[in-house]
Amino acid sequence: MSNHLRLACVALVPALLVAGGCAPTPPASFRLNMVEATSPSAEKDSVSAQLALTPVQQRQVATILTAMFGTPDEPVCLPETGLDPAKLKLAAGPVRSDIVGRKNGLYREHCVHCHGITGDGLGPTAAFLNPYPRDYRPGVFKFKSTERSSKPTHADLVRVLHNGVAGSSMPSFALLSPGEVDAIVEYVKYLSIRGETEIALMQYFFELDDEDKGQLKETREFLVGEILEPIAGKWASAAEELIEVPEMPADIDLAASIAKGRELFHGDKANCVKCHGVTALGDGQANDYDDWNKNIVKIETKLAALSAGDADAEERRWASEFHEVLDGDALKPRTIPPRNLRHGIYRGGRRPLDIYYRIHAGINGAPMPAAKGTVAPEDIWHIVNYVRSLPYDFDGELGADRAVAAQPSTVGGLVASKATPASEEN
Amino acid sequence: MKRLTGMFWALVFLAVPVLGVATFAVAPSINVWLPSDVSAHGHEIDSLFYFILALTGVVFVATEVMLFWFMWKYDAAARQGEKATYIQGSHTLEVVWTIIPAATLLFLAIYQMNAWANVKMRRPDMPPTVEVVARQFEWRLRYPGRDGLLGTPDDLHIVNDLHLPVDEDVLVQLKSMDVLHSFFLPNLRIKQDAVPGMKIPVWFKGTETGSWDIVCAELCGWGHYKMKGRITFVTRPEFDAWLERKTAEQDATQPVPEASGEIVAN
Repeated sequence: MSNHLRLACVALVPALLVAGGCAPTPPASFRLNMVEATSPSAEKDSVSAQLALTPVQQRQVATILTAMFGTPDEPVCLPETGLDPAKLKLAAGPVRSDIVGRKNGLYREHCVHCHGITGDGLGPTAAFLNPYPRDYRPGVFKFKSTERSSKPTHADLVRVLHNGVAGSSMPSFALLSPGEVDAIVEYVKYLSIRGETEIALMQYFFELDDEDKGQLKETREFLVGEILEPIAGKWASAAEELIEVPEMPADIDLAASIAKGRELFHGDKANCVKCHGVTALGDGQANDYDDWNKNIVKIETKLAALSAGDADAEERRWASEFHEVLDGDALKPRTIPPRNLRHGIYRGGRRPLDIYYRIHAGINGAPMPAAKGTVAPEDIWHIVNYVRSLPYDFDGELGADRAVAAQPSTVGGLVASKATPASEEN
Repeated sequence: MKRLTGMFWALVFLAVPVLGVATFAVAPSINVWLPSDVSAHGHEIDSLFYFILALTGVVFVATEVMLFWFMWKYDAAARQGEKATYIQGSHTLEVVWTIIPAATLLFLAIYQMNAWANVKMRRPDMPPTVEVVARQFEWRLRYPGRDGLLGTPDDLHIVNDLHLPVDEDVLVQLKSMDVLHSFFLPNLRIKQDAVPGMKIPVWFKGTETGSWDIVCAELCGWGHYKMKGRITFVTRPEFDAWLERKTAEQDATQPVPEASGEIVAN
């Protein structure tokens, strides 16, 4: 008897392993943008307006999106998106090798744990990062060579992947092959176009009149022509909206330029000190949010107002629904601190050119405004020179504090060079 | 039947040293042995490794074979009716098997001192060639610019792609921006923890041109497994040209024409 029992146990273990380990996992699917589905656009803020998409409408949006964009495993790429299906195929789906031994599923190998399967910046590690990973769905990108509201060019996104975003949790992918980086960038654009289409569809539902409530023109002309094409068009035309950069005068006197830049930095027009502070330590106004977080803050404010005042039944239902959304589909909002310019860490790149772009166009999605129009292009170069001098400025505003730190040190057996404390990064 | 069971178990134990030795014999031919050594000091580390492997290997095989032999010879089934001798231990034997390993370990400790000092204590008298800052999950590199000093406006900043001159002493200043990491160059037999708040010197000399891996050898977080960089040894003129080119890229005040592919290529 005991022998039989032992045998049974021995047989049971592999059986359990097979049952537990090899059960088919459900195919990956995109998540619906629940924040958007419960936040009507600001213009329609009347009490009678619909507060959230009904479950039927949500399903309708999901169905349309699947028809237009496919699933994470089988992306569909309409020619109107302007995307390259071959590149998408390389980046999409589970990680695997294809018939010629090429690595497939690059997005899930390198990006998904932060940016999420939907590109919503809600991957499993997202909540632990500060700043949060980018949510691609609004189609807003910060570090680019194009005008503020334009899309980034392909090369801009390649550059971000190549250099990483210093100061954030985005690492460098410099060692991936150019083909792999290309494929990932294409997939990021795909997730972005998909996300923007989703938002446009949802806002369209909110704007439907009462008589055609719940009805959507599910024709190809409407969905592709009126919703998708304007979005894809902006991506396609990004390369035409490059920022024009005037040559930095070759005979520029650096010291004079820095002094001029300092004046502009503190001046009324550029008014950089408002946020970056007079010391440029990023200690000016620091309680603002970026656009991604602002969305959630707005809704939280509305929720707070509702719970304070008297809400009708519809509003109470919306409030409880949204509490659920905030639990699973959004992260706790965080303020965006203005950059401390004395660290010498530049998220969008450290080339003078990169800093010119940032000052000229501002940072899309963030409170950083564009200097374009208020500061002359040549003067922007002076600000660039001043900003680039800040991490090494011992005799300026912070000279007194820094003198102590600039003593040579012998920590760890290395005699630090005199200038080392200038840009200590840790 | 009982005798057969006893023989079976004795042979199972014999299989341990046989398979153990076979694994080591086969490993180099299926490429799971030490990675190629491209450093000036690596052979010292490797010969220490081989020496200790041989020493422990002999002891391992001897103990395992004895274990087999006793199981085989003194199997109860084969010696029906014989009674085991009762002993209370042998003082002499215990002294011997304590002193021999102790002396061996002491010998090893003294024997390896020179190699250790070469790698960890006798730092070449030179300014850092490059600063390596470990960060979750990448290697941020900083070269002193034309002035030869770190922390000045002309520093060159690079990520993950470490270039160094071949056949020259190289001094790396290792730091960490966040948590513990370990700067591991398998092909240079270098492994050094990066500790937040410390500047740790690491030095070596590459003997071959080419590219090899930099990996993190200290579990530093969820992305530890992909914290990979690349070390490339080039000749001094090529290294200087590379520094020039990268510095020019970093100083760019005008966009690079996209067709050049300079952004992607290194």
